[in-house]
This record gives sequence, C-alpha cells and structure tokens, in this order.
Amino acid sequence: MRLERALAYAAERGYAVEEARDLVWIDVPRDDLPGFFEAAQELGFNYLANVVGIDYSSYPEPRPERFAVLYELVSIKGWKDGDGSRFFARVWVPERDPVLPSAVPFYASANFFEREIYDLLGLRFEGHPDLRKILTPEDLEGHPLRKDYPLGETPTQFKDGRYIDPASFRAGLAGGDPGLTGRRGGARRGFAEIYEDVRRAQAAEGEDA
Amino acid sequence: MKPKTDVPLQDEPRELRSELMVLNVGPQHPSTHGVLRVVVTLAGEEIVDLVPHIGYLHSGFEKTMEHRTYTQNFTYTPRMDYVHSFAHDLAYALAVEKLVGAQVPERAETIRIILNELSRIASHLIFVATGLLDLGAMTPFFYAFREREAILDLFEWVSGQRFHHNYIRVGGLKEDVPEEFVPELKKFLAGFLAKVDDYQGMFDGSPIFESRAREIGVIPPEVAINLGLTGGSLRASGVNYDVRKAHPYGGYDKYDFDVPLGTRGDVYDRMIVRLEEMRQSHRIIAQAVERIEPGPIRDPNPHLSLPPREMLGRSMEALIYHFKLVTEGFHPPLGEVYVPTESARGELAYYIVSDGGSRPYRVKIRTPEFVNIQSLAYASKGHQFADFIAILATLDPVLGGIDR
Repeated sequence: MRLERALAYAAERGYAVEEARDLVWIDVPRDDLPGFFEAAQELGFNYLANVVGIDYSSYPEPRPERFAVLYELVSIKGWKDGDGSRFFARVWVPERDPVLPSAVPFYASANFFEREIYDLLGLRFEGHPDLRKILTPEDLEGHPLRKDYPLGETPTQFKDGRYIDPASFRAGLAGGDPGLTGRRGGARRGFAEIYEDVRRAQAAEGEDA
Repeated sequence: MKPKTDVPLQDEPRELRSELMVLNVGPQHPSTHGVLRVVVTLAGEEIVDLVPHIGYLHSGFEKTMEHRTYTQNFTYTPRMDYVHSFAHDLAYALAVEKLVGAQVPERAETIRIILNELSRIASHLIFVATGLLDLGAMTPFFYAFREREAILDLFEWVSGQRFHHNYIRVGGLKEDVPEEFVPELKKFLAGFLAKVDDYQGMFDGSPIFESRAREIGVIPPEVAINLGLTGGSLRASGVNYDVRKAHPYGGYDKYDFDVPLGTRGDVYDRMIVRLEEMRQSHRIIAQAVERIEPGPIRDPNPHLSLPPREMLGRSMEALIYHFKLVTEGFHPPLGEVYVPTESARGELAYYIVSDGGSRPYRVKIRTPEFVNIQSLAYASKGHQFADFIAILATLDPVLGGIDR
C-alpha cells in the first residue's frame, strides 16, 4: 500500500501524523514541502485532488498556528498501478509570515486552488506562476474567509429619515456610542458621508449645550 | 481585396507584417455556458494562448455556510451546480452524516441513488444538447430537453421543486416519495434507452461531426491527472477513475454498473462517454427500483431528525426536540470530515470543519468544474478558434460551481 509507504516516509523524518474517521493528515514543515511533494510523486501520488485553506483563529482547541493549508494527495485508482490511497499533507502557516512554497511545479491542478487561497485567505505562494485574485472583485480589500473579516451590513433607513447602522447599534447596546440618528436622506449617500453627518450633528449638539 | 487605385505603385512590394491578436470571449456569451470570460491570443485562426477569468458568479457560499446551521445549508448546496443539483445535496449530507455518525435507512439510501442518477441523466442530456448546439446541430437540443422535462417533472413530484430540491436531509430525506412516483418512474425508464440510441444516431458517424470532433482537444491521461481533470472528461482519456467505483459511498457498492472509457481523450470520446454513462445510470436506476421497499426514511435519532408531526400534540419530549432542532440545530462533535463523491462533472467533495457548534466552522467545496476548467488552456492550444467552443462545451463547465 502506498499510504503505508507515505506514513513510513513521514515517520522517518519525524512528521506528526493524525488519523480520524478514515482520514489521515501528515504535518509537513513548511520548508520541507517541495521535497515532500517530490517524494510523494515518486511514491505514486500522482493526483492533487484538493487544497483546503483554513483559518483556525477562533477554533475552540489550540492549534500550532493560525492558518493551515491541506493538500489532498491521491494515488489515482484506475490508472497504471494506482491503489486509491489518499491523505492530507498539512502545512501550518503563521499569521506574521503567511508565505509557503507553491505546489504548481509538481501538480498543475494546484494553480487555481492556490490562487483561491491567496484571494480568500491571504496566504502567498512562492513560485506560483500567476498569483492573482481569482474569485472576488479586484477592488475588494481584505480576505473574506478570514475569521476577522466583517460580515457585510448595510445601514437601514426608515421613512422619517432616521437610520440604523448595525455596528453602532450593537455598540449602543453595549454602552458605547449608539449613533442612531442622521439627517433625512443621509443613508442614500456613501458610508463616509453618513459618518460625516453623524459627526457634524454631534458637533452641533455640543455647541448648543 | 482590390488594391486602392490612389496608392502609387511601388517598385518593391511592402513587407507583409503579421501580429498576434488578443480576443476577449464572454463573459456574456451563450457558448461560454454562463459567465465565463476567456482571453484568447490568436495567430490568425490558431490559438496561441488562452487565459480563463472566473469569479463573475462568486456568491461567497463558503462564507455564508459558516453562518447557517447544518440543516439550513441545504438551501445553498443545490445552487452551486444547478444542473446536477442532487449530487451537491448528497455530497454535503454524506459529509455531515459522517461527522455526526448518522445511520441512513435502506429506503432513503435507495431513493437518494435513484434521484442522484436521474439528476445525472438530466445533466448529461444538457451536456449533449448544448454541446451539439455549439457545433451547429440544433435538432438534438429539442429532443434532449423533452426528456429532461420528464425528469424535472419527476423531481417536482418528489420535492415540489424542479431545480433547487432541498429534499435530502442529514440522516435521510425530508419526506417519503409520493405513491405514484415509482410507477411513473418505471414508465420513464421503459422508453429511455431507445431515446439515447436516437440521440447517438443524430451525430455518431456523421462525417461533419467526425471532422469537428476527432483529434480535437486531446488531453493525454498523464496530463489530465496532473491537471486534476475528473469525471467523464478524464474517463474519455482512458483513466478508469469513477469515485462510485474507486471509493464507494452512499450504497453505490451494491449496484452493478460499468464505467465507460474512451481511448483518445478528444471531443468525440468525451461526447460518447457521456452518452454511455446515461445508459449506465439507467441501469443503476432500474436495479434500484427493484430494491425499493417500504420502511423508514430518516435516522430515528431524535437529536438529528424532527419527530413526526402528529407526535407534537401528544408528547412533551417530541415538542422539546422539535423546538431545539428548529431553533438551534444539532451539534456535531469537534473534528474534520471529507467524503469524495462523483457528480456528473467529476469529483465533488465537501471538507467540513466542526467546532462543536450547530454551524460548520469551515466548509470547503471541491467542485469538479473549478478544477476541470484549468485543462481548457492545455486542450485548446494549437487548435482553430472554432474548435475552442467545442472543447469548452465538452469540458462541461457550470459557472455556479466554478465560482461558488
């Protein structure tokens, strides 16, 4: 079995192995990744089925680093002597230095997967031939699949011209500045103008008092 | 072109210059099967380079699913691949079932396989219809849509919806199929194989189709595997990889069917493999109809499945479970799961991370189209521009699945 040989390779180098629910994860240090891919290809893992990027920053259990990238390597059944073994090679990526070597020189299918992770999680892949955003619009800032990315919220405007900005509304519930009211039609303009309105109204109140 | 008369004759002819042309295809064009944009570099009619640009249909399903309960997420799964939507429902349900350890009753498993295979047939019908339409053959389109209509009617009968069924649940099904479903299904099955032969007769052997499809867009098996190509397109290249056979799931190991293979990996083989797969799906459904027997359709575990409606008025316990499941949902244990499945387009899988809450911590969807579209550049280079349309059609892209 190829999986056993991959596990033996991991044991030889002292990589941690996790097994649960018929799945196998091998923790590969970031710098060893190209060497590991080369060895995996020699062992017959010819198909990179999936690359998963995960942000563990709000996970209840402690994890070694904030980000993990999982490469699912498969020895494809039905071609030559492939036996269908599959496992995940897991790489931990720290928040300070979100860079890891690209798998594209070994597996061409990694191309779009890595661009997706670059786009949605903000990890950079060194040696990728064409590292650009892929799914989100070019003017979108930030990486939506990070756990600290704010969810889209739009201010609600009522008929009398009053509006609720959800973030300040929640702040008001917690004792902060509620920022509940604005001038009629204020919400029709951009966010910056709304905050400008609120600031001006507060300044005017201060002058009256 | 006639030479302009006012240009003075020169002793020596001017140097003939040629340059590459960059052509933008899409995102709004019927032959791109959705909102795919492709920037093609042409030398005359020949394709020199090709870059697909995707993301025009990105809806952020993965992020949205992190903020909905496991049951609510069935709203999003069929919307990714709206052509073979039962595959997404099933793949998601299987992953969550593995996470919570649910036991799916025999009857539910059989009905799931019937619906999944019917959906696969409907998807392949669209593939054949639109693929031939892109090559200029309009007639098969109308016939294929007639059969697809019959399948969608069956779906409507079962789930009330034609596209976004929302019928599969974690641990079973939403409700049982109506009594008339099986007789109607048998009626559909009885006439279907002859119709597949009809479709094949419409193009197979035609010299025009042969010259448009033979040796066009060839992807050799090693290259296809390296590019991550799966599904019928990979099998057309001669790789015998079908997840239903290689890693059986959801009860597929109990059924007898063949995996049709191509030899050349060109447009022609990709078309024929899909036709043959329809016959195999028909074979699976015919076996499943014989196996279907009365029984429960949901896991009896009260922590997972809603209690029967009539219990709510009589049992306090049932009411409490009902309330908890509807307002909060169930809480799978901490962990990560992954179940590869075979959709009409290839390997489809949900990687789900659970943090013990009633909503998934992270959902990563491996859609086959997203990976398959990477083969487009390799398959199209060196061909005429008109062949690029045929190659794109036989890679079977569904933009909802590519962009998610």
